[in-house]
Amino acid sequence: MMARVLSRLAPLLACLGLLAIWQAGSLMLNTESFPTAIEAVRAVPSILGDRESVINILDSLRRMAIAFAAALLFAIPLGLMMGRSRLVASFFNPLLMITYPVPKAALMPIIMLWLGVGDLAKMLVIFLGVSLPVIYHSFQGAKAVEEKMLWSGAAMGLSAPQRMIRIVLPAALPEILTGCRTGLVLALITMVTSEMIARQSGAGNILFNALDMGQYDTVYAMIIIIGAMGIGLDAAFEKLRSRLVRWSEPGFDIPLSFA
Amino acid sequence: MNARALTSEVLLGIIPIALAVALWQAISSFGYAPVTLLPPPGLVFSRLAQQLGTSNFQHEIASTLFRLFAGFSIAVILGVGIGLAAATNPVVNAVVRPIVRVLAPLPKVALYPALLLLLGFGHESKITLVAADALFPILLSTYYGASMVEQKLIWSAMAAGTPRRQILFKVVLPAAVPSILTGCRIGLVISCIVVFLAEMISSTDGLGHMLVTAARTFQAVDMFVPLITISLLGLILNGLLQGLRSYLLRGFPEV
Amino acid sequence: MIEIDHVSQIFRTSGRQAHLALSDISLTIEDGAFVSILGPSGCGKSTLLYIVGGFVSPTEGVARVKGRAITGPGPDRGPVFQEFALFPWKTVLGNVMYGPRQQGVKAAEADAQSRRLIEMVGLKGFENFYPKELSGGMKQRVALARTLAYHPAVLLMDEPFGALDAHTRTRLQNDLLNIWERDRKTVLFVTHSVDEAVFLSDKVVVMTRAPGRIKQIVDIELPRPRRRAELLLDPRYQKYVVEIERMIDDTSEDGLRP
Repeated sequence: MMARVLSRLAPLLACLGLLAIWQAGSLMLNTESFPTAIEAVRAVPSILGDRESVINILDSLRRMAIAFAAALLFAIPLGLMMGRSRLVASFFNPLLMITYPVPKAALMPIIMLWLGVGDLAKMLVIFLGVSLPVIYHSFQGAKAVEEKMLWSGAAMGLSAPQRMIRIVLPAALPEILTGCRTGLVLALITMVTSEMIARQSGAGNILFNALDMGQYDTVYAMIIIIGAMGIGLDAAFEKLRSRLVRWSEPGFDIPLSFA
Repeated sequence: MNARALTSEVLLGIIPIALAVALWQAISSFGYAPVTLLPPPGLVFSRLAQQLGTSNFQHEIASTLFRLFAGFSIAVILGVGIGLAAATNPVVNAVVRPIVRVLAPLPKVALYPALLLLLGFGHESKITLVAADALFPILLSTYYGASMVEQKLIWSAMAAGTPRRQILFKVVLPAAVPSILTGCRIGLVISCIVVFLAEMISSTDGLGHMLVTAARTFQAVDMFVPLITISLLGLILNGLLQGLRSYLLRGFPEV
Repeated sequence: MIEIDHVSQIFRTSGRQAHLALSDISLTIEDGAFVSILGPSGCGKSTLLYIVGGFVSPTEGVARVKGRAITGPGPDRGPVFQEFALFPWKTVLGNVMYGPRQQGVKAAEADAQSRRLIEMVGLKGFENFYPKELSGGMKQRVALARTLAYHPAVLLMDEPFGALDAHTRTRLQNDLLNIWERDRKTVLFVTHSVDEAVFLSDKVVVMTRAPGRIKQIVDIELPRPRRRAELLLDPRYQKYVVEIERMIDDTSEDGLRP
């Protein structure tokens, strides 16, 4: 009983521990540019109370949600088709290989050149960032579907597209959802980074404006807010995922976070 | 797979890349986009070739590579070390697990401003960011690989007279190598991406900085050059790691 | 001599449920004997083997080898597992050399010894192959050579031929008997095949379904060296097989009761 409560609380304890280390570190260094954890946490409500900041952050989240949804609609079918057809896979694989190490947020300046600084440019960048891991995981998931399961489906009279939706999709779902989880954190990161680079609006912009103006409390408070969004979104998605694929063996998933 | 099938697959894979370049060429040569917005591919690649010869550009690549390798190496050392420790020691495990659960999904780029304030605008802040981002996939895959080692492999080694404290290096580590290398591959791609972004956000040199400078002066050609360079660097590094992988894993069954 | 003295094993599964895997087992195995432990799956027969190996410590009771209580694995007891458990990063030679090198044998000597063993198990020419390049039967030959290489007094075989096809299995059984006739190591052999147990053993320990108890110990008084083709026609062999099959039938029925 005790142990179970403790394991439930462990991530919370870890958060508190990390904040405590921060507090101790800043007290030891004692420089103006590194406020204590308590000061930073105190600055959080003032940001969340500011109408303009909240609108900015919500705008960021809206762009992120739309781009994330669009990426899933595009990437999952493509990944599944690549997984079931060698032809499709060898057609797209090299293209994906050369685009993988390109930082998607770095395309921001070029895309801004074409599409301006509006929502579209930002959403396109997030879309690109999310698509790659989702394609990759859907591909891996579909490739691992057992041939004999598909034979059974064919024997039951399912057509090829039906087999894709009724057999491949559910069988690959655990892997797809792992990709989506990576994609979700990635969406947040690409969002912040692109706003840091474009410096027009949004959460990333607040962060860097504060940095430029030397409002160190705000810088750290924004870091806490963005960090909490990342951890919160990931935890929520993980809950959804474990519910959707209760039947699957607990597998190996890395909640990656990079742009 | 025989050589001919392999060649035809490679050829098939080149088609979309060739198509993309052709489309790019068509858009600019039929005048749908002005050269200032989308320079034709010939121009970009000749610019890249010309730049590669200049010591200035070589210097930019060198500083990017330095940060990338420094950060990646730190991530490998810490990731493999902590991952192995967490997989084999229950106390370390109890401490590391919740911390990793919190820190892994944390968007590390958001920490960059703090790193800038603490470590300054030089190499240190960028290397730290790269290490922080590449660390978790390496740590998690090491942990996974080390905790999935077949029990009977360990028993076989113990029965052959291996002392308990040597099991980690004689059995667990080599058995976890495939998984560790998978983590390293992800970590390497992440390192490429993160170092570039960090240089874009604040730097005085490196490929990312080149892109930002070009963007400020609306030099579209010079914006493409660093992007293509980082993509090529990523491909080359990935190829090298792949080579190391197939050498180290020559005994392991295909995954 | 191996003595298993009132050994019980309880596993705690998730939750607070306890699973009694072995219940009060006492058994003595003479030096140089070939003893099989036979029983339906889930009767704890492998667990008993792991206890003798020192991989698992019993919840109650004690196991002794040469009069000393077993506290952990040691090179006097060499396991051969159904899963082969070869080191995938080592070649055939590397796998076989592992034990001798671990015992401090010089590299050149270990190399020569290992090559002789590899030849003995019929794998000459495969020294530099990796396990993944070998068939199941060949892998199990390597695993046997790897274990023999550090000269254990006792061989602990955990359904070693369970994963092999019938033909390969027969050949390996014959080879194992030949090797055993030569140096008469003590063998503790876990299997669920009645036929295999009778063919190989001096003694067959028949176990009941969980909780594992010893139902009966059958002495197999068939002449050695044994030839499979002759034995199959031997009415004494057939009688042993039928007798033991019946015992197993009984225990299986027991197990089906909720």
